[in-house]
Amino acid sequence: MRMTSGSPAPGGGCDYKNGTLPPCAPLAAGYVPMQEKNPETYDKEKALARGTLFPGLDLPFKNVTNKSNPYAGTPLGELMALQFMMKEMQLFLDTHPDDTVVFSALQNVIELYETGARTYARLYGPLSLKDMQYADKYTWTNDPWPWEYREKEGQN
Amino acid sequence: MFEYNKKLQYPVKIATPNPKLAKVIITQYGGPDGELGASMRYLSQRFSMPYPELKGLLTDIGTEELGHLEMVGAIIHQLTRNMTMEDIQKAGFDTYFVDHTAGVYPQAAGGYPWNAASIAVKGDPITDLTEDMGAEQKARLTYDNILRLSDDPDVNNVIRFLREREIVHFQRFGEALRKTQERLNEKNFYAFNPAFDR
Repeated sequence: MRMTSGSPAPGGGCDYKNGTLPPCAPLAAGYVPMQEKNPETYDKEKALARGTLFPGLDLPFKNVTNKSNPYAGTPLGELMALQFMMKEMQLFLDTHPDDTVVFSALQNVIELYETGARTYARLYGPLSLKDMQYADKYTWTNDPWPWEYREKEGQN
Repeated sequence: MFEYNKKLQYPVKIATPNPKLAKVIITQYGGPDGELGASMRYLSQRFSMPYPELKGLLTDIGTEELGHLEMVGAIIHQLTRNMTMEDIQKAGFDTYFVDHTAGVYPQAAGGYPWNAASIAVKGDPITDLTEDMGAEQKARLTYDNILRLSDDPDVNNVIRFLREREIVHFQRFGEALRKTQERLNEKNFYAFNPAFDR
């Protein structure tokens, strides 16, 4: 018996919702399709709201999706979105270390994050203890802490 | 080592407190398929993982789970803020309140405290990765059930994010299993334990 296969992409290979399986495989083993190299991605705002950078893995319960997140468009929301892209690329590269496209995309996102985080720390307060290097006094313990409810999001 | 970053992975901003809902969601803090168990499972399994890229994957997902633990804790904290004694009684939150007031304690929705019996560390890559795939599905299902029980849009926004992470992690653990198989003798994946037999 053969499983119905997903739709092939126009250029051959699998489309973004499908991955590759071995044509013949040893019995009594588990197989998840490998995600293809250089997969289709969302922009960073959409990735954060959806919980994945990859449309192929976006499989919502009852097909209800988040349109946005409560910090979208704020400086902190921007940093969260960049950090989330880094996390998604990291996990992808852990199992696809030879994907040079995703690797250089990761390097670009890290640079954007580092620049943004330095600016953020100067204007709103530290995200890491290292931000104390440029502070004029010790503000690391200042409220609010991340779990606290704040009416005005993204602002310390 | 771990270094704290003073922000959540995803924003938690819940306008309306709701202790009744907190009592349910706390199961993803300290219940059998919750985020505490997830982080302990992956961060502990790392030590016997023989393959470098999979030591990395367990570290990277385990670390992310600690961030999810913090997010679920933030949900509980915000759902139980500014409670009156009347709110507590009406919500049936009294049985939690009597032990923990409005503190966040790792327990299942049924009240049972977090227990390492709900995780496994078997010291064999195929076995541990198969456990991890099951664990991600159980957590995904628990978030599905929370979405069935909650009609608070602020809560559901965060829960949908957390639920989707389980699907991405399932995919990565599945790929990790494939990479493990590629390193083993394809005639018999179970001839030996690559974490123990040298």
